[in-house]
Amino acid sequence: MTDFSKKRFLVIDDLPLARDALRTVAQSVGAFMVEFATNYQDAIFRIRNNTPDIILCDYMLGDGRSGQQLLEELRRFELLPDETIFMMVTGEQSYEQVVSAVELVPDDYIIKPFSPDKLLLRLQRITQKKQFFAKYYREKRRKEFGKALATLQAQMASDDAKPYRFEILRQQAEVLIKAGEPEAAESAYRKILDNYEFPWARAGVARALHNQNKLTEAREEIDRVVAHSPQYFDAADLKANICMSQGEHAEAQQILDDASRRTPRNYLRKRLLAEAATLNGDTATATATMADVISNDTMPGAISAADRLMQARSLVNAGDNITAEKVLFSLRESDVQNFDLDSQASFSALLSIASPGKGKPKFTGLRPALLDSTLSMPTHLDVMRASLWLQDFELADRHAKHLMADKDAKKIFNTVRSQYALHGRENDFRNIQRQVAMQRIHHDEPKAEINESAAG
Amino acid sequence: MLHLLDVLASGVHDTKNQLFIAEAMVTATEARTQTDLSEIRYAIETAAARLSQTLATYHLLRHGSSISITPVIISDLCEEAGLAQKHHLAASHIELEIDCQVDEAWPLDRDLVSDALNNAIQNAARFAKNHIRLSAQLTEAGLCLRVEDDGPGFSSLPPASGTGLQLAERLASLHTRKERHGHLHLANGGTLGGAVFEFHLP
Repeated sequence: MTDFSKKRFLVIDDLPLARDALRTVAQSVGAFMVEFATNYQDAIFRIRNNTPDIILCDYMLGDGRSGQQLLEELRRFELLPDETIFMMVTGEQSYEQVVSAVELVPDDYIIKPFSPDKLLLRLQRITQKKQFFAKYYREKRRKEFGKALATLQAQMASDDAKPYRFEILRQQAEVLIKAGEPEAAESAYRKILDNYEFPWARAGVARALHNQNKLTEAREEIDRVVAHSPQYFDAADLKANICMSQGEHAEAQQILDDASRRTPRNYLRKRLLAEAATLNGDTATATATMADVISNDTMPGAISAADRLMQARSLVNAGDNITAEKVLFSLRESDVQNFDLDSQASFSALLSIASPGKGKPKFTGLRPALLDSTLSMPTHLDVMRASLWLQDFELADRHAKHLMADKDAKKIFNTVRSQYALHGRENDFRNIQRQVAMQRIHHDEPKAEINESAAG
Repeated sequence: MLHLLDVLASGVHDTKNQLFIAEAMVTATEARTQTDLSEIRYAIETAAARLSQTLATYHLLRHGSSISITPVIISDLCEEAGLAQKHHLAASHIELEIDCQVDEAWPLDRDLVSDALNNAIQNAARFAKNHIRLSAQLTEAGLCLRVEDDGPGFSSLPPASGTGLQLAERLASLHTRKERHGHLHLANGGTLGGAVFEFHLP
């Protein structure tokens, strides 16, 4: 029997009467310390500052927010340790449909009305499960993935593990994805599917295939999931990511546009939409979406330098250099100096396009560091673009080569080609393509799927 | 335009929230006055369950909607049915015995299967003399959840099919796994000599 009198409870509900009711029930299972959060922001603030042991969260939080969205955001920002119990409370039977489909699920959910005894029973069971996985949770948090997997493997054989068979398989698959072992993750997900066709496991297969750059297969798998589980928005995100890798930016944007309309307060999805719109050449949507993200994503610390750079990028794309300059200068000088090379490079590249007088000296100063560096894809693109603009063709070609040799080259193929065309350098682009292709043959690397679009 | 089902679902949802507030008030009164008001809470929960069942019936029988499958620990499912019914049945001098032989998790729709079991137990209670048995075991075909009683048994087999049984039948058959469907099996006899309600899931 767990003693809940020493546990810190947090009750999240926007309706005062419902909050009181949840507190009453929590107290009757022995809770002594019960805090309230009255809305989404308040909940995040409280959980960040002092993580509770047990969270009882209503599914409907008002203001277009749901408990599920809160849970997803907490997990993604790593604000919710595995040891904390997150229990969704709902009057809606339809929440079950969400739980059965998605990858990010609460520890449990309970349908109103429920007796204190039922809540007690469920909390005790979750506590038992958390005890079973305690060692694994610790290793996973320390990112000791090998150890974590070994722990799961060792536990799998024990008698205590019987009720958790699916959960162990699921955790194994998730850790394998995190550990960068997509082949093994794929087979773990397939083992789950051998038992039952869970949408989240099918989506897991698609994710693992995407990570192996098996795009056509990944697409087939995720199409099945999206067709069967329209409420599973993460699957839509994954499908959009796969589409982008395939160079199908219009479709990616369409998918994210639909999903965003149904989840208007999900700003991670909106960032992805801005990326797809940028790749798709829809500068109006990209700028509007980034403006929305920056003014409305009130999650503390959510707006990063990368977001500002993305906003500036979309403004530069739209030809609005004045606003782009303003956005770039909204970043503090001291912050800019503390940026990593990627962000510094993007910052100076975008600034040298938006405001050449101020940007060019910074960009030229970075040139030696940029000659031989491997950077993130968006930064390579920014540097390539600024170099073309500043007629530093040697630097431009180097970064274009990096991009075209990337396994995800299909994603940016059209952008690179159109930038070169813009500067009347179609021939140079074709030369780069040829050189990259030669290099590939030379290194005997598996051919990426770039060749078919290179013909176009 | 509002869909009729959405209007109904939203009404049911609001009502269940209200019923939860009522139940919490009863709980608070119990704590304050040190009295057992569990029969009031049972009545509230039964009312809510009826509402859910009405909505589920509409969903599954008329609307062709699908079910939501998660891995469910079977001993937990049985224990919860016991928790929901035991106390109330004891007041009518009926003992609910639970015999769960299944340790593992099984893919099923937890809420709907749990409602169907509760319903089957409540039905059994109307005819039982003093004993009801809920058991779970694995068979070659899958999982079998069984509710038996020591009453006179079904007067005819198959029995005249009410909404509850239709719903249970439909629910069982919606559980599919590798092309195999679940089914409902009703009989007389069993270990207690009365009605036997079996829910088979692949």
